[in-house]
Amino acid sequence: MAGRVRTHRAVSPWLFLLPGLAVVTAFSLCPFLTTAHHAFTDARTLTPGGWVGLRNFREMLHDEQFWVALRNSGLYVLVVVPFTVLLPLLLALLVERRLPGVAFFRSAFYTPVVASVVVVALVWGWMLDDRGLVNGLLRVLGAGPVHFLGDQWLLLLSAMALTVWKGLGYYMVIYLAALAGVPRELHEAAAVDGAGALRRFVSVTVPAVRSTMVLVGALSSVAAFKVFSEVYLLAGPTGGPAGADTTLVMLVQRTGTGLNGRVGYASALSLVVFGVALVLMLLVLRANRRGREGG
Amino acid sequence: MALSRGRALVTVPLVSAVLALATACGADGGGGGSSADGKPEGKITFQTWNLRAKYKDYFEGLVKDFGKKYPDVTVVWLDQPADNYADKLGADAAGGTLPDVVNVSPDLSYPLARAGMLVDLDEEKAAARFKDEYTPEAWRGNVLPGLGGSYAFPWYLNTGPLFYNKKLFREAGLDPEKPPRTYDELFGAAETMARASGGKVATLAGTPSIEDFGRYGVRLMNDKATEFTYNEPRGVELLGRYKQLYEHGGLDPQALTNTPEKVGQKFLEQRVAMNPGSAFDLANFKKNAPGLYLSLGITDAPNNTGKPNMYVMGLGVNAHSRHKAAAIAFAHFVTERRNQEDFAHRVAVFPSTKGSLDTPYWTRDDGTAEGRVRVASAKMLKGAVNYTPVVMTDEMKTVLKNEVAKALQGRKSPRRALDDAVARSNHLLGQG
Repeated sequence: MAGRVRTHRAVSPWLFLLPGLAVVTAFSLCPFLTTAHHAFTDARTLTPGGWVGLRNFREMLHDEQFWVALRNSGLYVLVVVPFTVLLPLLLALLVERRLPGVAFFRSAFYTPVVASVVVVALVWGWMLDDRGLVNGLLRVLGAGPVHFLGDQWLLLLSAMALTVWKGLGYYMVIYLAALAGVPRELHEAAAVDGAGALRRFVSVTVPAVRSTMVLVGALSSVAAFKVFSEVYLLAGPTGGPAGADTTLVMLVQRTGTGLNGRVGYASALSLVVFGVALVLMLLVLRANRRGREGG
Repeated sequence: MALSRGRALVTVPLVSAVLALATACGADGGGGGSSADGKPEGKITFQTWNLRAKYKDYFEGLVKDFGKKYPDVTVVWLDQPADNYADKLGADAAGGTLPDVVNVSPDLSYPLARAGMLVDLDEEKAAARFKDEYTPEAWRGNVLPGLGGSYAFPWYLNTGPLFYNKKLFREAGLDPEKPPRTYDELFGAAETMARASGGKVATLAGTPSIEDFGRYGVRLMNDKATEFTYNEPRGVELLGRYKQLYEHGGLDPQALTNTPEKVGQKFLEQRVAMNPGSAFDLANFKKNAPGLYLSLGITDAPNNTGKPNMYVMGLGVNAHSRHKAAAIAFAHFVTERRNQEDFAHRVAVFPSTKGSLDTPYWTRDDGTAEGRVRVASAKMLKGAVNYTPVVMTDEMKTVLKNEVAKALQGRKSPRRALDDAVARSNHLLGQG
């Protein structure tokens, strides 16, 4: 009897885990391993292809579009992440207070998160058009028109602004949860010691939500590096003028899909995206650890 | 026979896990295919390309009529949205679930045929006997380079007139009754339009596509379709003229990023004076831009070759179909003269069966805008060619579009841009 119980204890947890593990294996691990294998082949959509070693990676080095895409994805991280780490924190501080009507603002800030990215990008596209709302306002002020959707840098910046705006509410909620755990006494003690609002923010709030900031930084840097929808919808399937706004994931989509998709090359690109995203995560976590050790 | 609680604890997760893994690994759905000579019978699938929303009744009637003729065959009609149709086909083909009869254009049938997934209709006697029912141009339109045979039953054809806005022409001082017919006239009119409107109205909103190079008289590929050649002097000349047009405001400032949908929208908003389209667009103009509809002009797309561009739709038969005889019978049934003409009457497209375009419906102008476009387009179809090389993949089209954009921006000379586009496309072509 004792033996059966022991066996049951050893086996049962695995049995409960099995469906979850099977799903992860089927929909994450299997595709990842298949992608890793394809990266070393010249597979196409309709043909399995043969082993080509590192040829896809060598081709990448000579592919002008790859470097453009890598630059754009990198820039996306550099510009978007600071905003998605700081702005939602400030928003959270604003709506954290129990004031009349604050629930409306909380909901309003969160609305873009639940809105479809396609719909949101279409609306932004209309607003930024040469004859859209933004250029209309600029005309009233005697400026413009500004070709937001025709210039490679303005297009990329517009897509970045869209990403930041759409993500604000999501990260704000994470910060709200973190701020709820900051003891009120700390603020009161700092205030008694003569600390102003800015000083309390820097010396009390930021250290208290530091780990959340790291989490937001890690999440948003990976999301920014993998950006697709915003740029695709604003800049079009070719990736802006002359493809100058193409991001890495757009390049994966462009090369790997369709009846003639170069699955092998797209898989190699995907591995690079994975590798860089992994490095980004590790860098953020390491920075956090150093920060903690430094006190 | 109920499972005990203990067994259920073991069995349920186990079965779930096995099912999930089995779904992921996916059993091979391919098969050897059946004989095409037998009696048509069995259950087949038929896939169209974005036709259910507007023509549900027609296709349901067609399936019903076929059922009366072949009671042993059951047809399951599927329809896919317009966007990413090639991706859907690719996923189906790779997964062994390609429908038995599938709506394809030659550029889609090419990779499928190369992978051995479509029936060679010239080789397959059960299909080849219908060849004479179609116009030779339409049958040839589905013959694929390097593969020899024809891989789809010719279905409907389309060609595009060029729509223009008479009001904008009049305001710019151009004669609204004399639209540009040659490329010289087009570029001249665009300069005038840009000058007169102070750059507010562009004549065109899209950059030149491979079809534009073809209509301009540029040789797009060598005879064996193994190398692109559109960087020849005429191609460079066309791109140079487009560059001037862009610099002088004859092209919409967002032309480098405009999609066909955006271009159409700008024409509706009367921000662009000319737009290629088809008879299909008239209903849209009438409904969404009645002001534009009243001042709508229709002309032929400028052409230096005397051969307009033609879009060809066909029905391919899955080479691995388990009911090939039924699939061939159905593909032929859909594309036979009576059904093609019936469809073309409803959709404002053109039949590919012999003699159809000589009937009064396509030769007599009934005085309506639709009638004018129909007769003009049907006339254009005689001698029309499909300029899009079937070996040109979407990636190669993007390469061309991006290099054209670089030339228009002045980042590269037109010659350099086309040389680079051709080199890159030939490199991709060489990879198979």
